[in-house]
Amino acid sequence: MTVLNFLGRRLMIAVPTLLVIATLAFGLLHATPGGPFDSAKQIPPEIKHSIEAKYHLDEPLWRQYLRYLNDLAHGDLGPSFQYRNTSVNELIRAGLPVDAVVGSLALLAALLTGGVVGTVAALRRNGPWDHVPMFFAVLGISVPVFVTGPLLILVFAVRLHWLPSGDWRGGEIRYLILPVTALALPYTAYIARMVRGAAIEVFTSPFIRTARAKGLPTRIVVLRHALRPVLMPLVSFLGPAFAGVLTGSIIIESVFGLPGIGRYFLTGAINRDYTLVVGITVLYGVLIILFNLLADLCYAWLDPRVRLQS
Amino acid sequence: MLAGGLLGVMLAACGGDAAGTVVPAAAHIRVGTRLAADQTLIRALDTMPRSFDPSLLTDVDAQKVTDDLFEGLTTFGLDGSMVPGVASSWEMSADGRNWTFHLRPEARWSNGDPVTAADFVYAWQRQVDPKTGSEYAQALAPIVGAMAIATGHAPVASLGVEAPDAHTVRIALNSPTPYLLYLLADSYMQPVHRATVERWGDDWTRPEHWVSNGPFVLREVIIGNRITLVKNPLYWDAAHVRAPRVIYYPLDTLTQVGRFMAGDIQWASIFANTQYRWLKANLGDQVVIGPYLGISQLAVNMLEPPFAMSRDLRLALNLALDRRVLTEKIGAGVSQPAYSLIPPLPGYRQQEPEWAAWSDERRHAEARRLYAAAGYSAAHPLRVQVDYPTGEDNRDQYDAITAMWLTNLGAQVEPYNEEFRVLLQNLRLHQSLLFQDSWIGDFPDPFTFLQLFQTGFDQNFGAYSDATFDGLLAAAAREADPARRYGYFEQAERRLNEEGASIPIQYYASKHLVKPYLKGWQLNIQDRMVSRYMYLLEHEGQ
Repeated sequence: MTVLNFLGRRLMIAVPTLLVIATLAFGLLHATPGGPFDSAKQIPPEIKHSIEAKYHLDEPLWRQYLRYLNDLAHGDLGPSFQYRNTSVNELIRAGLPVDAVVGSLALLAALLTGGVVGTVAALRRNGPWDHVPMFFAVLGISVPVFVTGPLLILVFAVRLHWLPSGDWRGGEIRYLILPVTALALPYTAYIARMVRGAAIEVFTSPFIRTARAKGLPTRIVVLRHALRPVLMPLVSFLGPAFAGVLTGSIIIESVFGLPGIGRYFLTGAINRDYTLVVGITVLYGVLIILFNLLADLCYAWLDPRVRLQS
Repeated sequence: MLAGGLLGVMLAACGGDAAGTVVPAAAHIRVGTRLAADQTLIRALDTMPRSFDPSLLTDVDAQKVTDDLFEGLTTFGLDGSMVPGVASSWEMSADGRNWTFHLRPEARWSNGDPVTAADFVYAWQRQVDPKTGSEYAQALAPIVGAMAIATGHAPVASLGVEAPDAHTVRIALNSPTPYLLYLLADSYMQPVHRATVERWGDDWTRPEHWVSNGPFVLREVIIGNRITLVKNPLYWDAAHVRAPRVIYYPLDTLTQVGRFMAGDIQWASIFANTQYRWLKANLGDQVVIGPYLGISQLAVNMLEPPFAMSRDLRLALNLALDRRVLTEKIGAGVSQPAYSLIPPLPGYRQQEPEWAAWSDERRHAEARRLYAAAGYSAAHPLRVQVDYPTGEDNRDQYDAITAMWLTNLGAQVEPYNEEFRVLLQNLRLHQSLLFQDSWIGDFPDPFTFLQLFQTGFDQNFGAYSDATFDGLLAAAAREADPARRYGYFEQAERRLNEEGASIPIQYYASKHLVKPYLKGWQLNIQDRMVSRYMYLLEHEGQ
């Protein structure tokens, strides 16, 4: 099967998948008690009607659903209900780059540090170079970001005054360091453990033993022969992880006051901002599908034994 | 006729200023004060405002921002009292139903246009027009015709407001409304620039189209991150506005505290009650709490058993609660215990029930007597659920409340928390028997609280209905004399206490963290502190 053929089939499956995601999200949200324009103060019915008419909430649900799908097919995610005169497309256009920058940097940092630490730990198995980093890796996975985030702020912003305690400022480096670090920590720990496990398996496999027996230096063995098979499990992990960080980490965004998608999603759910929540859910679906596809392609490229099949 | 200037002074004096001196309207800074070189104000909001259109917004955070951006006929003084805004003076007719406001001719929009009487008439008509979709059109209910228009039964032009000339506004009211001056300052009665609204439609609130008449204009909005205002050089009192810029950051509770301690914001507007003692120990005078115009209370469903038919049971639950434990032990001493509906208001005599002063033993004994009189006992205990909205400090509070009912009465009440919107829907359908019914007053007047128990009022979630009580409110509505009007309200509040209409818990507090070098503000019961008066002293780390 050619790559193009493979891509075509996968994209064809993506459309019904997204339809199911959009339908479920739409249905669940509309089934939740309380509407977007409910407040403690009761609105006269005539005014409520005029607001609802503006957002087509007065129509039967099936018609709202079809209208939504139609707009969605045209790439229009509709108006946000909670932020007057702002469209969901606009919110995503503003928020996605923030999450993309913070998320990519965090994953990149995690990949580099985790990869190196994991490899070293595997090479020096059962020594201090293995035990100490792996202790911190378990710690890194176990301690949630809502603890590490405020802790980083306390140390580096409140006590030492080295770095700002949050804010975005168009991605200035000073403002990126703490959120990227906080987001990268659990990923680093996870990757380090994963790389260590994979590396140990690869290092004990016959083809590496052969390479070593031929007298190749460790550097060459690791980089030329072991690296590709070690990366294999990472690839399937990184696909969904990347989709995850792109749609924002709600906690990182709240703790550091970043204008990313995650916070929109949270306030959207609380305020019953139907279009915003469905929009971000669909976006997440698109990204998951996209990155899984990329992961599969990488897989095939990394391992000649893998054949593309849908 | 009552002269406007004089009324302004009276209100300021009522604002809790014992010496009776008039607080200056603007930031008049003493000569020799050493000011910081950069006067940029950096303040926090609790949530991202949903709109900056004063006619559309409903949230407190948006109001904080529009207080800086717009100016009504009246506006907030340094101490939160009402001072002249666009109107420099006003008169009220003897019956209290007709008001005439005289606009200052120097008032300007940020694009240079004069602020005229027609701008106000337009804004108010727009506010009540159902087509606008304002979620709080009923704020204008005291004005003749407002509700008929808002409910689609009368044309917009029939609103009881007129502009006989460019600098005069007349307002006709349904009944004497002493709190009109407070309504006029608030977002829903602030003016909007007609040409801008009509040209850009909903998009007029974008910074690139922005026109407003307040001390500041909107420069930049990044949703979920920051709102930047810059000084409006055309504001009539711009000479007294110190800050060239105000930056608002919408931040979560915990994040606000961190940012404040790092010195990245100068003003935090919230912290969790559980943090209060720690913050006080670490930040000292930078932690500021004050009384706030709001009450946390429990209300009961008056349509169904067990509460509808048993005043004894309602009173038993009421008397069995130890408020001091709730406010001091559970609430860390931030809020004040409440025994009656209406928070402390200037000029109003709070009507606490007699038992508020009793010893715990005596109160508990009476509660047990009432509980037994209502037909409940250890063998036949009250079993009911108390519904409250999910929230920061709520869970501890309700665990303690239900424990008190169990210990003091033997009543088995189960705390049950729900998301606010879900709870609200249940309340609208009268599906809850016992529930939290918190209320923040719209203006400092007893009526904003008492109406909660008025027959037919939208937010009367317990469907409480009492002809005596309604009669007292009706009498107050007809009364033009402020003292006699308050007299009716005092009777009405006593009636609620006797009937056990609700179970008051605590009066809310306003909570702030403020840097010691930020001056030009005073605590006030409405918690309105506008940037117009604020300035920064010289300080370290500038």
